[in-house]
Amino acid sequence: MQIEREQAGEDVLLKVAGRLDTPNAKPFEASLLEVVNTTGGGIVVDLAGVVYVSSSGLRALLVAGKAMRTAKRKLSLKSLQPQIREVFDISGFSTLFEIS
Amino acid sequence: MSTSLPPQAPIRASLTIDATVDAIADATEWLGTLAEAEDWPVALKFGLELSVEEALANVVSYAFEGIDAAPMIRLDLLELDGDRIGVRIVDNGIPFDPTNVAEPEVPESVEDAKIGGHGVQLMRHFLESLTYQRQGNENHLTLVTKPKTP
Repeated sequence: MQIEREQAGEDVLLKVAGRLDTPNAKPFEASLLEVVNTTGGGIVVDLAGVVYVSSSGLRALLVAGKAMRTAKRKLSLKSLQPQIREVFDISGFSTLFEIS
Repeated sequence: MSTSLPPQAPIRASLTIDATVDAIADATEWLGTLAEAEDWPVALKFGLELSVEEALANVVSYAFEGIDAAPMIRLDLLELDGDRIGVRIVDNGIPFDPTNVAEPEVPESVEDAKIGGHGVQLMRHFLESLTYQRQGNENHLTLVTKPKTP
């Protein structure tokens, strides 16, 4: 798993690549929460390079999403590959996040 | 989910892994190697890999709490009739039947969403059948894919 971070105005863009699986879920969650806790704008997570996601990866996004909602900030997702989108659709996560 | 397994499906290959989160990657890599060698369809491989990972995540996280015996987790690739792929996951942990896990409620917002409970939901979607048996002191969970040729 690789994560690149870019500043986009007040928002942070995180470009994630690789596998959001159980072994990677904790480092992924820690990376998200580090951005939540050290910045003040929105967060956009670009999943174009993600080839695999399990419920552990979904869980990490949900933890970050809850923290952002509490802080009244926006976390959105973009560029999901079809199989990744399918996992989001089945689990109901497609309706929890703004996805572009 | 229904069972479509022959009673004694022959084992084509097996892998034993440690009871750790990192060892799940050993299992998914093993499946990936088999998938490449046997040219499994991409969508079938994705769904089986995901389902095996979800099952193993439960096993390594919860199966061995309070167990004195050394943890054992084995994956058997099963020889099935037709063009389905079967994997049986055997562990000597506490009894746990994931086929009895209720579907999580569909949350309306991030605030309402419960963390966890989606693994079995994903397995039910991607598999044709998910079958549990307790044999002696072992959990036997058998995952069978949908047909390679729909």
